[in-house]
Amino acid sequence: MFDAIRDVVRKSSIHVCIVNCGGCNGCDVECVALLSPRYDLEQFGIYVHNNPREADVLLLTGAVTEQWKDNLKRIYDKAPEPKIAVAVGNCPISGDVFAQEGGHVNAPASNFIPVAAEIPGCPPRPSEILEAILAVGPQAIADRGREQQ
Amino acid sequence: MSSLIWYIYDFARKAWADTFLNAKNEPDISEKPERFRDFPKVNKEYCIGCGACTVSCPSPNAIKLVRDEDSEEGAGMTYPVIKPGACIRCGFCAEVCPTDPKTLECGHNHLILPEFNIIPSKRQYIVDDYLCIKCKKCLKKCPVEAISEIDGKVVVDQLKCISCGECLDVCPVNGAMKAVFVDNLQDQKELILLCVNYLEEYINAKEDDLRSLEKDGLLQYDVPISEIIDDALKIMPDEEIALEIMTNAVNRLKVRIIDWDKDKCEKCQLCIPDCPTKCISFDESRDTIVRDKDRCLRCSICYQTCPFSVIKYFIAKFSIDDGKIIHVTVKASNLNENIVE
Amino acid sequence: MIVPIGPIHPALKEPIRLKLQTEGERVVKAEIEYGYVHRGIEKIIEGKTWQKGIYLSERVCGICSYEHTQTFAETIEQISDVDVPVRAQFLRVIANELDRIQSHLLGNSTFFKSMDHETLFMHVLELREYAMDSIELLTGNRVNMGWNVVGGVRMDADERHFNKILKNLDIIEEGFERTRQLFAEGPALALRCKGIGVMTKKEAIKGRAVGPIGRASGITKDFRNGHYTYDDYFDFKVITRTEGDNYARTLTRFDEIPESISILRQAIENIPKGEVRTPVDLKSGYAMRQNEAPRGEVTYMIETNGSLIKNISIRTPSIANMDSCARYMIRDVPTVADAVATYATSDPCVACAERVAITNEAGITSIKKFDEVI
Repeated sequence: MFDAIRDVVRKSSIHVCIVNCGGCNGCDVECVALLSPRYDLEQFGIYVHNNPREADVLLLTGAVTEQWKDNLKRIYDKAPEPKIAVAVGNCPISGDVFAQEGGHVNAPASNFIPVAAEIPGCPPRPSEILEAILAVGPQAIADRGREQQ
Repeated sequence: MSSLIWYIYDFARKAWADTFLNAKNEPDISEKPERFRDFPKVNKEYCIGCGACTVSCPSPNAIKLVRDEDSEEGAGMTYPVIKPGACIRCGFCAEVCPTDPKTLECGHNHLILPEFNIIPSKRQYIVDDYLCIKCKKCLKKCPVEAISEIDGKVVVDQLKCISCGECLDVCPVNGAMKAVFVDNLQDQKELILLCVNYLEEYINAKEDDLRSLEKDGLLQYDVPISEIIDDALKIMPDEEIALEIMTNAVNRLKVRIIDWDKDKCEKCQLCIPDCPTKCISFDESRDTIVRDKDRCLRCSICYQTCPFSVIKYFIAKFSIDDGKIIHVTVKASNLNENIVE
Repeated sequence: MIVPIGPIHPALKEPIRLKLQTEGERVVKAEIEYGYVHRGIEKIIEGKTWQKGIYLSERVCGICSYEHTQTFAETIEQISDVDVPVRAQFLRVIANELDRIQSHLLGNSTFFKSMDHETLFMHVLELREYAMDSIELLTGNRVNMGWNVVGGVRMDADERHFNKILKNLDIIEEGFERTRQLFAEGPALALRCKGIGVMTKKEAIKGRAVGPIGRASGITKDFRNGHYTYDDYFDFKVITRTEGDNYARTLTRFDEIPESISILRQAIENIPKGEVRTPVDLKSGYAMRQNEAPRGEVTYMIETNGSLIKNISIRTPSIANMDSCARYMIRDVPTVADAVATYATSDPCVACAERVAITNEAGITSIKKFDEVI
């Protein structure tokens, strides 16, 4: 009974932290645009506050640069369980255009931390990000919460 | 009081309760405008397998050409596959696609004029003006008239060139028309460095031969290429390209070899101040002269300075045979004799 | 005491480390540590054709991505002596000004968020969506537009597109008046902005501040004066202020929006008919070009050998603005919260600023602070 209530509550209250581990900024801007009244992220119970210590969902943007190789795992460890990481944009998925000769990136991000969902696009439209978070986020968090017990 | 009742009434309405429980946006926010460039749409049946899309794509992992397995009905189809996780939705693949109708469709931008269709290639064709004899055979042979003569020089128009390689076959001078690889320049540098380092070490290891070499004498060795091909393939996995780059590099290569006979050295230290890169130093604890190989320019100044002929200086030339054996020819330098005379 | 902020912090949008030295509640000194987003774009572009390079230069910065492609294209056009068709020049101006509007609105909304004024944050961000709609309608993408090519632009636009853009501009203008009044005349915000983070004109010149940040301190340079299209066809006023505080910087960005809207109306009214793209005969050579991005001057220096780019160097406005922010603006600020707000008014774009990398003898790439490089 208690677990069921906790699942329902978790599904409708998601705290998000955007972690930019070395991208062009485009995906971060699209995530900020999600806060605007047109998309209104908070009506779905999703709250963006950029603090990894309270986050349920880490939105990863950017191909992992040299400085983030160790720090990404540290940030992930700081977030409390249950937590999931969602890769927004191409950079954390494949390194995008930076994963070629001359670039200083260590994509994909899944080499460093477990990534639960991927949203392709460079950058994805806000509505695509919204759809993906709503389709994946609540259920994945609830599942992960059950795994922990 | 009335406002409180109004609030309670407002919250109790069914419409409000519905929107509270089923939060959703207006549908129009997910509508894409008509000119939106989404991920490219692939029409498999039109593809001719030219590979223009894979070469032109700015993102390295986005497009792959795949070929279905052959079945009884005939050969398998070749077509591009787009990986959404790497595609940046620029639509450049649709722009360069040469088929009509287009194999790749992306937004509106592929409706532009045909003169902007560029087929990029791994090779770039360049005329070496120093070697070119202006026979103009390539001008006549070129199927798309990409080669022309401007100000007395034969020039390849990179925008028109389709990289067919006809000009390379017809050119009577070896090396006047070059097909240069434009991709992975860094790997090419490493490959050439590997060849040079290997050959230099190989010759340096034959100390006895070098020291007993007479004036005007020649040393000749045959080095099988198979000894370095494994290392080369680690740098550049494509064997054909690797061999071609190595052949081109080794054929033009001229390596200067410095042999240092430590037994003869009298520690006069004359060579130390003369070195332009300060790579020679005196190790007091071990009482020897030390030469830093990596910083040495092989300029031969120490060879000309040394009064005890500790340092010997050789010039090695190479040619490659059938892509299997490297012929090495080593000749002693005659710089010192010229000075004496 | 030193208060470190970042790289991931509720107050920051992008990874950067701010070190604030405090005496009691006052912040007396600030230092910025860069290096979290260095990707080495210049090195990737070397040895590639412009067709690939233009999509890579777009990804230098995601907020002002448009100006990077335009400057890249104009530099190569300068090398190759190409005259861009006038219609294409007008279309470039339209996209450029729409990009400037959305970037200024985003910069201001981030400032309001860092001041914890959610109402204005939401109002301004809602207005920005109309600018983004226009951009998407015109170019086919919201952020990385892929709209410029050497020799013109990729697609033509017709009456329907222009009418929709004009309709969106009316909405932006109407909402803009209200939000500007809320900011400029509201007592709560003005009290927290006026006299905070003051940078004088002398300091702005010394810190090489550019764009709206420099203009708020009295520098009159705007690189749109001197650009061939703007000089020949458009009238506009360069907004300058003299106070150099947070209030002035935010208002400078606000006041540039009506100027951009008026340029857009002139462009849509007077746009000539004709081609939008011309074939290009690439030549080898070297050229340098400076353009006015939303945040200030963008400089591209490119050397080509016919079809390939041999060498490229990019100078972005953010590196100068963030450096002058750390040196002169956050110098004697009453609280840590104000220091963060001051940082936000300098409209920082970290992805732009990460341009310097130094390789030491062991071959390890280390990214040094801007001070050490100069």
